[in-house]
Amino acid sequence: MRSFSKESGSAPRRKSQRKRKPCPFTLAGIKPYEIDYKDVDTLQRFITERGKILPRRITGVSASHQRKLAQAIKQARHVALLPFVYEE
Amino acid sequence: MEKETNNLYEGMFILSAVLSDDARQKALERITAEITNHGGEVRKIHDQERRKLAYEIDGHRDGFYYLIYFAVPPEAITELWKEYHLHEDLIRFMTLRTETVRETLEFKSLVEQ
Repeated sequence: MRSFSKESGSAPRRKSQRKRKPCPFTLAGIKPYEIDYKDVDTLQRFITERGKILPRRITGVSASHQRKLAQAIKQARHVALLPFVYEE
Repeated sequence: MEKETNNLYEGMFILSAVLSDDARQKALERITAEITNHGGEVRKIHDQERRKLAYEIDGHRDGFYYLIYFAVPPEAITELWKEYHLHEDLIRFMTLRTETVRETLEFKSLVEQ
């Protein structure tokens, strides 16, 4: 039996129906292969305060972009453009 | 036989910040000379100036970044890698295959929302 809360007026939102965040790269018209490790300002938006790569369920990045993004962040870390970890 | 094929690469090189301008220029020439010695050619050098390193590398906190586009035969890459590791003034480098030489280092920005 379905339970709708008539009192509140709004139907309970099921997890599967949550609207997907649009991919920020697709919106900006950036192709996956255009994601560049030198573009630190963009990469910075996809890492946590600690320096970890954010999962795409939070950022909404598409799968193909996320693969290239993760690669770019790792390359940027190697040449010390991004830290492996922000201390303190 | 077909003609020798050179692949296009982009290399990011970080030179020590403790060097004098002259010494840094020499260190950069050593890098480019190594490319030409292996039958390659330098296509473009972007001088990215001094930058703070995101983390300390062998006691260095700052470095001079250079982005060099060059074409070399693929076999030369392993040779270059060995040579560059013997270069004391070069604190970090990374070479990647690329298709095009970027004239400017500007990137499309994401849309704010």
